[in-house]
Amino acid sequence: MSTLAFLLTQGVNALSQAALLFFLGVGLTLIFGIMRIVNFAHGTLYMLGAFIGYSLVRYTGSYWLALLMAPLAVGAIGTAFELGILRWLYRRDAHAFLMVTFGLALVTGEAVRLIWGSDALQVPPPAVLSGVVFLLDEPFPVYRLFLIGFGIVVAIVIWQLLERTRLGLLIRATSQNAEMVHALGIDVQLVRSGVFGIGCGLAALGGVLAAPLVTAAHGMAATAVIDAFVIVIIGGMGSFLGSLIGALLVAFVQVFGNYYLPDFALAFMYLVMLLVLVVRPGGLLGKEA
Amino acid sequence: MQTKSHPSRRGILTGAGAALAAPYLWTSAQAQAAGTIKVGMPLALTGPLGSVGQQQKRGAEFYTKLQNAKGGWLGKKIELLIEDTAGNPAACVRKAQEMVERQDCRLFTGITLSSEALAIVPKLAEWNAIFISSDNGDGRLTAESFVPNFFRANTSGPMGTRAVSLYLKDAPYKSFYALGLDYAWGHNSVQVFENELKRLGKDFVGKVFAPTGTKDYSTYVTKIRQSGADGVYLVLAGDDNNAFLAQAGQYQLASKMAILSEQLELTAMRAVGDACLGIIASARYAFTIDNPKNKEFVELWKQEHGGQVPDQFEGEQWQCQRVFEAGINKAGGIEADKLRVALEDLAIDDIKGNVHMRKCDHQGVQQGFIFKAAKKDGYSHPVPEIIATLPAERTTPPCNKMTYDD
Repeated sequence: MSTLAFLLTQGVNALSQAALLFFLGVGLTLIFGIMRIVNFAHGTLYMLGAFIGYSLVRYTGSYWLALLMAPLAVGAIGTAFELGILRWLYRRDAHAFLMVTFGLALVTGEAVRLIWGSDALQVPPPAVLSGVVFLLDEPFPVYRLFLIGFGIVVAIVIWQLLERTRLGLLIRATSQNAEMVHALGIDVQLVRSGVFGIGCGLAALGGVLAAPLVTAAHGMAATAVIDAFVIVIIGGMGSFLGSLIGALLVAFVQVFGNYYLPDFALAFMYLVMLLVLVVRPGGLLGKEA
Repeated sequence: MQTKSHPSRRGILTGAGAALAAPYLWTSAQAQAAGTIKVGMPLALTGPLGSVGQQQKRGAEFYTKLQNAKGGWLGKKIELLIEDTAGNPAACVRKAQEMVERQDCRLFTGITLSSEALAIVPKLAEWNAIFISSDNGDGRLTAESFVPNFFRANTSGPMGTRAVSLYLKDAPYKSFYALGLDYAWGHNSVQVFENELKRLGKDFVGKVFAPTGTKDYSTYVTKIRQSGADGVYLVLAGDDNNAFLAQAGQYQLASKMAILSEQLELTAMRAVGDACLGIIASARYAFTIDNPKNKEFVELWKQEHGGQVPDQFEGEQWQCQRVFEAGINKAGGIEADKLRVALEDLAIDDIKGNVHMRKCDHQGVQQGFIFKAAKKDGYSHPVPEIIATLPAERTTPPCNKMTYDD
């Protein structure tokens, strides 16, 4: 394998991993930005997305439908959760949210076990994405290239949504000063419900996209929430661009670190986080803590 | 003159002590009244190896249901004490300790990870308990870490690896790379494989270990491809195995080199589908093993589980319970001293053929099986097709060893 082929291979590996990490991180950071709460159930909703995706692929035969419907379903669950439970807790301190979202994680995890059983389930990528393309005599799975492309598209869509639309304006305004937005006659509660739903939906989207790589499995939830936290902390709590940079940074350090120093595979992500926190305690693009 | 009567300090302490002890006295009295034999199973039901723990649970529950219908052991019902350790050795020791102290449990099995088993075995003498392993692979459990109250009914990691290397002797592949999980079992099996290959005169070109719970295996696939080896040997299980096989399938790794594995479960075959086709692995147990006892077992299992066939660790757990059964019947009780003597040199003929619990290191001497993941009519996923059966004396290492002399 030539050096160029090696770099290209590892680049694709890192970028595809970054795309998955980005879906996880961006949902968490959106929710934090606007609600100042850490959603402990994020990893479990990511897993739930994968399992719902499995059922949709299994019963409709269409991966594309799963990619659309699973995030919508989980987004709806998230919104309902915000409306039914979180909404009544905003006057309490942050501990209440920790407990309640942690509770949601436990309940969802057990529900998945009851509905789908405890074995890992196969979610094959659609036929059009299951081949390889050869570049410099090396095979590149089409599915990984698709993940990269899809990641870029979703990043642009979210960015445009935040910058160009009225909803984006409201989200940004609410994250800066919720009371002022409220005083201007905007229903802040509605914005919160919507953003919580969108954040949960993005986690589920990540889950459906990860499923062909790792199968739909209960183990997805355990590390996903930690990965998402690390990315959000690196990028800065509440920063959209920060979560993108955080995902890229972690993915590249992880992929190249695993290659050269596999014994430290578990440490790289945390080393990056540590380094960032020493230099910029609020995260790369966060407000200074 | 003192007229008020105060309760004495001693009286209060005795009362408090009795109140604290009451629940324990009650449970142990209840257990004796009910007359059950308790089998402790601190299992990894969740975590990266949760699928293995779930299989052990199903295997033990199925056996217990059938056996209790026949009257249990020595006329007493079998009661399984199942707790989740999430694969954490410290949690495993704590849960096992609680089973001993609060429920007077003296029999253990189903401890999922070798790292957990290695943490448990030093405690067995103090607990006066017997632990029969149904899945622990690490060779040290019957070698340098051996304790008299430990028995291994299952095929160990070195035995599985040995079966693969015996198979490789005549196979056309010359050089190998190895990928193992970064804990006791992975390191132990990769080491045995490396030694075996060298003795076969083949090249061992490198190895890498991945932490359990790794999600992205692309870098490992890159390393394996770069090694230029004819084959890669895998010592993976659970979620890691699924993730690796799914991703290696997408990189079409099988078209570049042979993929061999110490073990491959049906759950993994279902989860990754055609991505595992062609993989050659040693089977600790496979539902396709051809003997009358196994056929009968598979039929009973299918009736109970809606047509599903038993998986590797479900079969291994069944065999382990059968070893318990034979040992307890022979001993006429479950006291560790009696049961240990009864289990030594005990032999049973069951779903994997003959198993002889040899006295010297308490390893169950048994046949090895090599299979290929292949398509079969009537199954929506690949199934293990047995391609070689290796005699017990060739796959079992010499006493107290995890290396082979020939």
